[in-house]
Amino acid sequence: MYCVRVEKVVKHSKDVATIVFDGILPSYPGQFVMLNLFGYEEIPLSLSSPRSVTVKAVGETTRALVDISPGALVGIKGPMGNPFTPAEGKALLVAGGIGIAPLLYLHDYLIAEGVEVHVFYGARNADEIVCLERLKSYEVATDDGSAGFHGNVVELAATKDLSSYRKIYACGPEPMLKALYKLLNERELLNRAEFSLERYMKCGIGVCGSCVLENGLRVCVEGPVFSAAKLEW
Amino acid sequence: MLEVELCGLKMKNPLMLASGIMGSHVSSLIRISRHAGAVVAKSVGTEPREGYRNPVVVNYAHGLINAVGLSSPGVRAFAEELEKFRAEGRSPLVVSLFASTSEEFASLTPHFPMADAFELNLSCPHAENVGMAVGSDPELVKEIVAEVKRSTEKPVFAKLSPNVLDVVEIGKAAEEGGVDAVVAVNTVKGMSIDIVSRKPKLSNISGGVSGEAIKPIALKCVWDLYKELDVPVIGVGGITTWKDVVEFILAGATAVQIGSALFYSHRIFYSLVESLKAYTRSTGESLVELVGKAHTG
Repeated sequence: MYCVRVEKVVKHSKDVATIVFDGILPSYPGQFVMLNLFGYEEIPLSLSSPRSVTVKAVGETTRALVDISPGALVGIKGPMGNPFTPAEGKALLVAGGIGIAPLLYLHDYLIAEGVEVHVFYGARNADEIVCLERLKSYEVATDDGSAGFHGNVVELAATKDLSSYRKIYACGPEPMLKALYKLLNERELLNRAEFSLERYMKCGIGVCGSCVLENGLRVCVEGPVFSAAKLEW
Repeated sequence: MLEVELCGLKMKNPLMLASGIMGSHVSSLIRISRHAGAVVAKSVGTEPREGYRNPVVVNYAHGLINAVGLSSPGVRAFAEELEKFRAEGRSPLVVSLFASTSEEFASLTPHFPMADAFELNLSCPHAENVGMAVGSDPELVKEIVAEVKRSTEKPVFAKLSPNVLDVVEIGKAAEEGGVDAVVAVNTVKGMSIDIVSRKPKLSNISGGVSGEAIKPIALKCVWDLYKELDVPVIGVGGITTWKDVVEFILAGATAVQIGSALFYSHRIFYSLVESLKAYTRSTGESLVELVGKAHTG
């Protein structure tokens, strides 16, 4: 573990903020860090850029992190885990809720590489949609219809022809990923997809075994990004 | 050349997965048992237990320091999880138990019909009233082992702590209680402080050191126990390379356990097996012939 200082906190809503560090963490999109909020807890967080994490307050520790003041020190282990693999041509990003975080980093990375990127971004309501200003081309879906497509993000994707995308990247709640898996499987596009998964983690370095999947793979080391075709859902 | 029989357990090699590493889910136990001679599941107690808050593990230049705090889903949920190992399992399964009294220890064994053996955690250095707290008292160790032995026909191993004045005294107490083998050693007490934030790195402040750093300490314990005890010794502590395995066997270990080395590679069991095959081919001796060889001039 080493320490970095919080340079800036960008509040996107009451519950979501981007915590910007005072230095770049050499990393690739899809990688995560174990962030130790002193006095609270060490938690896994996807990087939303080489120098930030984007966090939603869902518990005591994430609430304190969203409300952190610039200048504070946080402990970092990592960046760790397998990143997304790059695309050529056209790429689709599918985000559910705070699952947008690693995809923001990927979005910027792919754009810089000259990839044509489109985003489907779903959330429960309009208030939970954040960072749209960073996205070049997107469509939004909300469960309550308060913004964009009325329905979930996979239902939105199902209305589209997805065959032109060379790569499909997704991050979000597991039921959403499972629904997307089913859709892509039906369309025979599963081998183009990469999913970033989430599991309760303790050590983050591959030894404790808290985050293993049903197939025995560890989310912290063999993931968090997996080829969808390998998930056997 | 690598096969070993440990208290009646037939193992394809002497390498066992140590308790507490990758042992909370059947999926990872099965994955590791493809190459390991046996696997030890994470310690389980009577009730569900949260463990400490993160950070619970830190790595440093010579190994790991952990204070996970014996997090466990409790005996019922864990027995249900391990049930699947029986159907698909390959190598023998050892179930590690923690408790504060001999009765509590003995009450756990009937829950695990899928276990091939039990390991008693008498040595976790960072939890109150269990682990080392009960494993430092020779009389209590003897009583616990005897009570557990009455509760099961299966082999019972006692995992010992190096954080005691005399590990042999505790080993002898376990032997008097009727233990089938001793496991030496659990982690060595230690800690780490971050100099920028000026705070201990682990939420529990201190924990147990494992990995390469503790190998010489563990080796000496195995050496002493082999000399003084009649039951087999299972060596554990910092084993990372095939040479470490050979050293422990020469010191008197019938089998060895590997834990922290999984931090370097999850293929560690495969790599060690292949290296040990090459080693036994070069010397023309099987590994069991080498047990305790360093003692006989």
